[in-house]
This record gives sequence, C-alpha cells and structure tokens, in this order.
Amino acid sequence: MELIFRRHSTHGLLALAALLIVSESYANTPTIRLFPTTVVEDLRQTSSVAQEMETGLQEVIGRLDQQQQLYLESKCEGAEDDPGCQRLAKQIGATYLDMLGIMEERLPDMEHTVNNTRLSLEKRLRSELGNKMTSWTLQETLLGGNPPKDTSAPTPSLRGRSGMRLSERFSQYYKLVASSSSNNDQSLAVLASDIYLDMEETSLLIARTREEIARATLIEQLNQSFGTITPEMMEVVGGVKSILFGDDTSVAPIAGPPPGSVEQAYRSPLEN
Amino acid sequence: MKSMSLLAALSALFLTSCATSPPSCDGPQSRNLSAAVDHVKGSLASGCAAHFDRFYDDLLRTAEGDPKPGNKRIFSEFLVWSADEGLLSQRQAKNYYNRYFNVKFMTLQGDYNNCSHTCPRRDRIMLDMEKELSDKERGLLKVSLDNDGYYRADELFQEVELVLEATCTACSAGQ
Repeated sequence: MELIFRRHSTHGLLALAALLIVSESYANTPTIRLFPTTVVEDLRQTSSVAQEMETGLQEVIGRLDQQQQLYLESKCEGAEDDPGCQRLAKQIGATYLDMLGIMEERLPDMEHTVNNTRLSLEKRLRSELGNKMTSWTLQETLLGGNPPKDTSAPTPSLRGRSGMRLSERFSQYYKLVASSSSNNDQSLAVLASDIYLDMEETSLLIARTREEIARATLIEQLNQSFGTITPEMMEVVGGVKSILFGDDTSVAPIAGPPPGSVEQAYRSPLEN
Repeated sequence: MKSMSLLAALSALFLTSCATSPPSCDGPQSRNLSAAVDHVKGSLASGCAAHFDRFYDDLLRTAEGDPKPGNKRIFSEFLVWSADEGLLSQRQAKNYYNRYFNVKFMTLQGDYNNCSHTCPRRDRIMLDMEKELSDKERGLLKVSLDNDGYYRADELFQEVELVLEATCTACSAGQ
C-alpha cells in the first residue's frame, strides 16, 4: 500500500514537474539571439572608425568648399586660361588630392569593421531566422504576440542613408542594439535585417570607392600640370559629402491615416 | 406484357427527372448581411455547394455596403456553420476567415525552414502576400472597419519583405 502511495506520489511529482517545465517554457518563449556581444562591439567599433574618418575629412572638405566658392566668385568659369584662375584650380586639385589621400588611408579600417559586422550579422541571421524558423514562426515573431498600439513609439526602421552622418548612423544602431534587452524579438529581427542590408550596401560602396580612388588620384595628378577642374572631381566631392555627412533631402516618413473604430474585440474561433 | 411494364417504368423515370429541376443557385438579393447569409445558407443546403466561392464574394460585397466591426462575427459564424455542415473542411474554413479578417498571412504557412523552403520561392510568396493583403483590405478595412488591423497587416507585409530580403541574402551567402 505504501509502495503504491509512493509510486502515485512520485508520478504526481513528475507530472507536476513536467507541468512546471511546460508552463515555464511557455512563459519564456524561445528568444532569438541576433546581437551577441561581438556584434554589439563590432557596431561600436564601426561607429568610432567612421567618426575618425569624418573628422579627418571635414577640414579638407571645408577647405575645398571655400576654394570652389572663390573660384566661382572670381568668375573663373570660362576663363581657364587666366593665370590667377589656373593657380586657384591647381590649389583646388591639390586639396582634392589631400581628400583622396585621407580616404585611401582610412577606408581600409572602415571596410574591415563594416565587413566584420556584416559577417557576424549574416551568420546570426542565417542561423536564427533562416535555419531555425519557418515562414510562419517568423511571422509570429514579427507580430510579437501583440500589435503595437502606440504608433508614436520609436521604430527601428533606419533603412538606407537616412540623411545622417555615417558615424551617427552606426552610433544609433549601436545604441539600439546595446539596449536590446529592453527590445523584443519582433523589433530585433527587423533591426538586424535593416543593419545587415545597410552594411551590405556600405560594404559595396566602400569597395567601389577604394577602386576609384587610385584612378582618380592618377587623373588628378595629371590634371595638376594643366590646372583644370573636371566635373568628375566635383561629383566625387559631392558624393563623399553626401555619404559621410548625410543628405539634405532626407525624406520624412509619411503619416498613415488615423486608426479607426476601437470596437473590435471580437475574436473568431477560426483565428490562427 | 413485359415490354409494357418496361415502358411504364421508363415513363415514370422520365416524369420524375422532370419534376426535380436543378437548384437556381442565385446570389443573395438582400442588402442586409444577415438576410443575405440566410439566403446563401439555404442555397448551399439545397445543392449549390459548388458555388461557395461566388457566394462568399457576394456576401463580402453585401457587407461592404454596410461596414461595421460586427460583420466579422457574422462571417465567422457562417464559416463555422459551413464547416459543421460538411461544406468546408476546418482548414478551408480557417483559410477563408483568416485570409480576410486576420492580420496574419495564410500565405506564410509552411513546415520547413526559411533557408531551404521560403527563400527559393521568395518572389512567389511576396506576390501571394500582396494578393492576400488586398483581401485583408477588403475584409478588415472595407467590411469590418478594423483600420488598426489592416495597417498592422500592411506593416507586417513590409517587415516580412525586409526580413526575408536580409535572411535570404544571408542564407545564400552561406551556401
């Protein structure tokens, strides 16, 4: 009798333990690990490398702007044979070469840190969202159980250049990720995807820029002997400014229509 | 004698077949959703089950004429009835309901992981999701006035597009 009682109580305990484990696992739904400390550190590093590059270039680009202004005010366009204008054009060319030199020096570091971040994120995305999830579980992760009610809450949608400095962009990524304990899986999946795709683009852009620098340097060294300003030169400077310091024409998000009736508590037994 | 009785039997059969004319299977005429549902239920029960899709579309059109949150319940109850009557399987009933009245996308149902199953057919899936989003616009927005639900579905569509783009790029880089 005692044996039976013991066996029953053992079964009861086991059942209770199993129940506890099950309820525990429901309470702690599997979390996705998209931002381990290595990725967070890579992002911080990228932000500081970008800042160093910006600091180095800011002075040169400022100088270039002033020289261009002077060139235009002196009505040198169309008067390229004028010795004074030729001297100005040579000065602009020399500053342009300085800019290319700084970029050539700093870009490898930038490329390295961006690629590190991109590769760690790539691995995480592949394993956590690609191999461990089906399209249905991914959808449920994105929905996060509850639809967001507060539309004014900050969203992690930072896709693209967003009209901000490169370092600022990475710094913002870093801040968002570093406080990821307060974020849910839903926004982390979007954030990780956003950063990864941005890194892909940045990485390609850096590689293309590095290829171009050698060619642009050679051309400008040749131009120095003639003292001419090429349209390509102005284009490159404009491009660098827009990448590093952001666009003026950042697009403001378009507001959605106001939310409708709140009388919608009905839940169908057919709902998944 | 034998041929006489055979003739009589054949005539009886002919007359009987003339008496049971096929059901008309007309769509609901009423502008009232509940009345339209009753009409459709009657038609479905009298042999028009093959016209289910058309009837469902008719009911959605009727509901669009008088949109309100309560319409969701009417559609749910109609689909539960259809499943109980054996006109639809449970799975079909769920599909009909969720495709129009739930934020979640039925297109994203699948048992295999994203790298192996979703990514190779991502374009097709996105196209199907887009079609489903337009059905959700009809069900959530135009029939049930559930603006929040529809905008969440639209947002989810964009998030899935972004996350799948990144995930599939990562998957293909690892091959």
